[in-house]
Parts: sequence; structure tokens; C-alpha cells
Amino acid sequence: MDTLAKLQILSGAARYDASCASSGSKREGPACGTGNTSSSGICHSWSDDGRCISLLKLLLSNDCRYDCAYCVNRSSNSVERASFTAREVVDLTLDFYRRNYIEGLFLSSAVMGSPDQTMDRMVRVAETLRTEEQFGGYIHLKIIPGSSSELVRKAGLYADRISVNIELPSQASLQRLAPQKHKDAILAPMAMIGREIASSLVERKSNRRAPRFAPAGQSTQMIIGASPENDFQILRLSQGLYKKMNLKRVYYSAYVPVTDDNRLPVLAAPPLLREHRLYQADWLLRFYGFSAEEILSDDAPHLDETFDPKTAWALRHPEFFPVEINRADYGTLLRVPGIGVVSAKRIIAARRFSAITPEGMKKIGVVMKRAKYFITCSGRSFEKPDRPATLLRQQFLIGESSALALPTQLVLPGIFS
Amino acid sequence: MNRYLYDGTADGLFSAIAWILEEEPDPQQVALAERKDTLFEDGFFISTDATQAEDLFFRLRKQAPDAAHTLYSFMLAEKEGTESSLLHYISLAFIHGDKVNGHLTHPAVRDIVSVAKKAGRELHRMKGLLRFEKLRDGAYLAKMEPDHNIIHPLAYHFSRRLRAQHWFLYDVRRRTAARWNQGALQFGTIEQFTAPALSDDEKKVQALWQAFFKTIAIPDRKNPRLQKSNMPMKYWKYLTEKQGE
Ligand code: SF4
Repeated sequence: MDTLAKLQILSGAARYDASCASSGSKREGPACGTGNTSSSGICHSWSDDGRCISLLKLLLSNDCRYDCAYCVNRSSNSVERASFTAREVVDLTLDFYRRNYIEGLFLSSAVMGSPDQTMDRMVRVAETLRTEEQFGGYIHLKIIPGSSSELVRKAGLYADRISVNIELPSQASLQRLAPQKHKDAILAPMAMIGREIASSLVERKSNRRAPRFAPAGQSTQMIIGASPENDFQILRLSQGLYKKMNLKRVYYSAYVPVTDDNRLPVLAAPPLLREHRLYQADWLLRFYGFSAEEILSDDAPHLDETFDPKTAWALRHPEFFPVEINRADYGTLLRVPGIGVVSAKRIIAARRFSAITPEGMKKIGVVMKRAKYFITCSGRSFEKPDRPATLLRQQFLIGESSALALPTQLVLPGIFS
Repeated sequence: MNRYLYDGTADGLFSAIAWILEEEPDPQQVALAERKDTLFEDGFFISTDATQAEDLFFRLRKQAPDAAHTLYSFMLAEKEGTESSLLHYISLAFIHGDKVNGHLTHPAVRDIVSVAKKAGRELHRMKGLLRFEKLRDGAYLAKMEPDHNIIHPLAYHFSRRLRAQHWFLYDVRRRTAARWNQGALQFGTIEQFTAPALSDDEKKVQALWQAFFKTIAIPDRKNPRLQKSNMPMKYWKYLTEKQGE
């Protein structure tokens, strides 16, 4: 098979979500644009579906030995198979980079032969690019669960970012839907990567020449809706990953049915709203000082469909409000619906000079339509603060019915504040 | 209102501005224009002094780096008749520092900042959209027709990115070119451009890229409007993936 035919199969396979092989790729969209993942944030083209193209996104192979129920490339499915040699991927990357088509390479793979065999070839691609070809562009490698720690370490030395997909939120689901994958085979490399990243940062403080380990960090991805875990379980898992594994990002991917395997739920449509709410809650974990236990609980384990998680929290905690804009500290301001990271910082900066007026709040970028129920401004309130929560919910629903359109899957996470 | 003239060069412009800032108590009340050498032209001519010009830019960069950057981007737009706005903008920048760019109610600031933004946006876009082709002798050539005169900063960007290659940028509209070879960056003009022969494997690589471009899009989510708003059609002429569409 010539390179062109392979490219068609293996870049096509990289475009859909639900295989370990490719999943996460769409969420790397921010890698080129809005996110902080890419070195330079340059889009090189926009594909026919309007998405930014920045990396050469490929599978090394789609010839999988495993049989994960949710994946097109599973061994029991009949699709055309192809595998690149390391040299082919190296040449493609260089040929494209030299013509300014791309920022770099995003390489993933199905499990061909054994995990080590696959990982070895992926690492060889990165190694050849860096050492023989002096390639300075961006490289993201997906770690194949179950590959040796030696290979994982090497991958981290050559790549800017490496990631291991957690795939499914629990061991039980893994066992049922991806029987050849084991929780330990996924968590062990993650933990190791986390340690290596941390120690390389420490080492580089004293020795600027020390090798950099995955300088753009570690991320992971899980599929939402293919297994029965609730949002609370998922958020707690993410919280643990951020705290213990040094992760930069967890990506959530709504399950898109690709097969009618009877182990899988029958879904009318991918759970996009749920995915969207999880991203919002994830944002609260990382930037707003919330814990998973504040957002959800065993009694209420699902994210509200009607309200974003921050508003839902505020409605459950009337005792916390109103917040006085001219006095509250940063952490408290962040809890007000309608105030984001940027506007909270601006409020702190602006009130150094003079008390903030309601007019000033709008200029600062506070969404007053939302915030007005929760704040006072130099003692003055905007809405009756003692309004019962049920009424408030009603009010919100009326005010926002139009804004509540279902997010499309292409909405990038983190655009809300 | 006092009116001054300069010789039409960039050095002339900036030395005139330096002179005015030095001598005029209220530069906001002063107008500056290019000398056209018509018979009854009205205004006082300030002669060009390159060191003055350089010194002005240097001081601005120190006192208001963002403003200096805005100014640089603005100059890429090659707008005519904007000398007075520039003068007013620079005088404000020396008073307010980088905060000047927030002063959007001031007409001069608004003009300069909005034009500079546009130029900056195109520069950023072209860093992604420029396409090189490999020539028979192993060098690479990229052609473009940008709205703004961005060849200098663009060439600088690629001099850091594609260090090991021998390459040319060619601005078809302005007939200017940049060349990078073995660590040296040069600029010049090309009066007579003849298209050089492509290397033997060039078409093959282009076909690979076109194939990748096609397959990476999700078929039932076609969105040509979004594509065009991110990647306006005026740039398609030189985009490898848009050839033959
Ligand atoms: S390991 Fe599982 S998810 Fe990954 S490519 Fe193979 S079948 Fe698909």
C-alpha cells in the first residue's frame, strides 16, 4: 500500500472520537487556537468542517489486536487496516513542516502486536525526528496502556506532550467494554509521567541544561455515556487526577455510537449537553477553587441540565449571598454567577482606586443579568436578596430560555466563564 | 494650527515627529503632512535626520513598548495621509505610556489601534497560511499577496522556524522578496519574476497534504461559512489545499 492510501485510512481514523487511538484529538482543537497547550498557537488551515488544522493528526496503525466495544478499530470489526513505518511518519511530518502546512505531529495508534511493539515504533518516530532530523516542531504522543516504563520515559523526553487515555471512568466499565485494558496499565504510566514532569521541573531549577520531560504537560481523556458512572464519580476521578497525577487537562468525549454491540447503551444522540456541563464543572475544579464534593454529592450525583454548575451551586447556597463587590476577596467573588476569573481580577484591581459603581461593573465585564441576584454594590442591592430560591430558578429560566440552546460538539471547552 | 511638512520617507516622518514633540508646546494642535512640492503648499518643512528618527523609536520602545509595537504594526499597513494621527498618537504615548491604547475615545488612537490590529491579524494569519513549494535546486519558495506589507516580520518568523532550509518569500503585489540562506536574511525587489521549476517530488507531497486536508474534515459537519470566515478566500490562491477548487 502506498503512503497516500495509508494516509487516507490513518488520518481518517484519527478524526473520530471513540477510540483510544484517536480520541482526544478533537479536543486538542484548542491546542492550536484558544488553549494554552500549543507552543505558538498557529492555525495552518481550516478544514471543510471549519475546524482549525494545526497538527498532522495520525494513527500509526489501526490494525488493533484489542476489541474495545466502543471503537471502530476493534479487532472484530471489519474495516480496512493499514500501518505506517516509522520512516513514513517521519517523512510526512518533515515534508509538511518544511512547507509550513503544520505546527507538528500528533501521533496515536491502535495496538498492533503488543503494546510495547506499538509504543516502540511511536517512540522511534519521535526519536528520529528529534535526534536525526533536528526537528523542533510540536510532538504529542499518546501512550499505549501496558507499554514499558522505559518507553514511556523515552516518549516524554522527545515529545512536548504525552497523554494516556483513561478511557472509561471505572475499572468495572473497563473490564466490560475494554476487556484487554487494565486500570493499572493506564494509571501506572500516568503516575510515572506525573512524577517525571515534577522532578524534571525541579531539576531544571538548579540545572537549566537538565532534559525537559513533556514540557507541555500531560492530559487524558474519557468517554462519557458509554458506561453507567454518574457525574459525581467522574468529577471525583478528575479531581484526583489533577491533584495526584500532575495532569494539565482532562478531556471528556461524548460517546458517539459506532457499533450495535449489546454491551453498549442505546443512545438517541451523543450526550453533548452532559459533556458540556462536565467541562464547566471541570473548569470550576481547576480555576474557581471548587471541590467535586461542593458541586455534587451522593444524593445529587448528576449535573443540572438547566443550569451551569456554578449557578446551580449558588442557588443551593442562598446563605452565601449577597456578596459585597467592594469588599469580598477574590475567592468569594469567583463564586458569584456572572463573574469570571478575568472580571474578578479586574474588580480587585479597580477598587483599589475607588469604589466600584453598578456602571463600572458592566464595563469590567460582569454579566449583570446573572450577577445582580447575588451581589450588593456598596451596600446597595439590585434585586430583593430574600427572594426564595424556587422563584429565582423560575426567573432564570424565563430570562434564559433562548440562551439554552444545546451546545454543538464543536464548542470548545472553557469558553464560558 | 501649525502645519508641518516632511519628505515622505519613514525616517523623515519620525524625525519630523521628534522635532515637533521637542519644539511644540501642544502637539495635539499640530498637523503634519507629506510635502507634495506644489506651488503654494502651506507649511514649514522639517528636514530628515535618521538618527533623530531612530532615537524617537528607541525612546518610545522603552517608555511604552506596547505602543511601539502598535506603531510598528500600523506602519505595515502603508496607509497614506495618517501623519497627523501618528503624531498625536505618539505624543499621547509619551504622556500616558502603554495605557494610551485604552484611550479609544481619542480619534487618533482609535485610527492607529484599529489599523494596527488589522495588520497584526494578517501577519499572524500568514504565519499559518503561507505555503512553501520545493524547487528543483532544493530551495523553497512561498508566494503571497497580503494586504499589508508584512514581509519583514514574516521573514523574521520563518528565519527562526525553518532555519535549516534555503528559502524565499515573494510578495507578488509589491514585488519584494526575502531570502534566507545559511543564517543570513536578505531583502530585495524582484522586477522580473519567472516561475522556477519545482522539484520532482513536490506534486506528490502536495497531493498528500490535499488528501490529509480532505480526510480530516468530518463529512456530515461541512461548514463552508465558518471555514471562509477563518480563512478568507482572498488567501486561497496560494493555498496548496485549495488548488483546483
Ligand atoms: S485498543 Fe481499543 S480503543 Fe484502542 S484502537 Fe484498539 S480497539 Fe480501539
